[in-house]
Amino acid sequence: MGGDYAPGEIVAGALEWATASPDNQLLLVGRQEVIEAEIARLKEAGQVACAPEQIVIVNANEVIGCDESPATALRRKKDASIVVATALVKEGRADAVLSCGSTGAQMAAAIFILGRMEGIDRPPIVTSLPGEGGHRTLLIDVGANVDCKPAQLLQFALLGSAYAVSVLGISSPRVGLLNNGAEETKGNALAQQVHALLKKQDNLNFIGNVEGRELFSPQADIVVCDGFTGNILLKALEGLGLFFARSIIKETDKPPTILESFDYSRVGGAPLLGVNGVSIVCHGSSRREAVANGLRIAGDCVGSGMVARQAEELAKSN
Amino acid sequence: MQEFFELARKILAEQLEVDIASIEMDTTFEVVEADSIDIVEMIMALEDIYHVEFPEEELEEFPTFGSLITALYQYLQEVGK
Repeated sequence: MGGDYAPGEIVAGALEWATASPDNQLLLVGRQEVIEAEIARLKEAGQVACAPEQIVIVNANEVIGCDESPATALRRKKDASIVVATALVKEGRADAVLSCGSTGAQMAAAIFILGRMEGIDRPPIVTSLPGEGGHRTLLIDVGANVDCKPAQLLQFALLGSAYAVSVLGISSPRVGLLNNGAEETKGNALAQQVHALLKKQDNLNFIGNVEGRELFSPQADIVVCDGFTGNILLKALEGLGLFFARSIIKETDKPPTILESFDYSRVGGAPLLGVNGVSIVCHGSSRREAVANGLRIAGDCVGSGMVARQAEELAKSN
Repeated sequence: MQEFFELARKILAEQLEVDIASIEMDTTFEVVEADSIDIVEMIMALEDIYHVEFPEEELEEFPTFGSLITALYQYLQEVGK
């Protein structure tokens, strides 16, 4: 029920995914009558092609808004759609949860219902940035944690490293710290403290500070930052990609395909790391294409055994 | 009340990985960098210990550790715990 274009675009995107994934079941969580009305509308428009038995509606009468304190709202609204949906994963009735609503509520639900992996305070959101020669750099955290403590960025690095080793198959992934300069003494108080922590961590391949312009080079496999910086950076990149695409279209009628990498609709969503379940965070402004792709990402995370493999790798470093 | 204060204080200190002495009745959650998730976690831990469910409080109304645990303790008294 969350998201700027909910429920219409969310339901439409989910059904698109279900059509493309006939072996999977889709659980739509929210106000039943609202979801049923959307499905009926899409059916009338000839936009429902998946088998009826693929779709299950799980009723949830409340919604946690983006203006609500997530943890408090979670306690108060036990019938909120994000609470019910995350509980489905906890209970084993679903393999993953995806939401376009309040990121704070989604994270709080993941923490309190799915539970955190040992040694993790706050789960971060990871995304991967395209780079030279096909290289991709993981950027963590892109928005789950606005205010971070130094130890939390160390945890992001450990989680990212575990993810890179276990899911991406990168041995000894290079971890960088996003900073405003390469020198060790650079950065604000948080960056300097984090640098010191990362430097003395024996089980991390810490390569030092990484400046913004290096994010698209093969310098690092993982770059960590606080969620405030990461979110601003991510959205700036998306906006830049859109700007370039529009500018180039004016001159050539067709934008280079590389700019599609910055289109969040094509990426879909990003997983929360460090929780005992797959929870995919989507942009609040996601439309159907992003939702469908986000569900595809969810399937990839489930299929790769991301959670178990991450936990196993993380346990080695604790 | 003292026992409840010491218990809540211990729980929060362990959660935040801070020195227990840094948490007094007039300590603000902001000073110890406890966010709403930390506070709710402490409340949930107390609920497990006392087998109660505290009423949902507006955390913004309790900026200090003392103000929150006083309210929680009053609820325990009301329900006879």
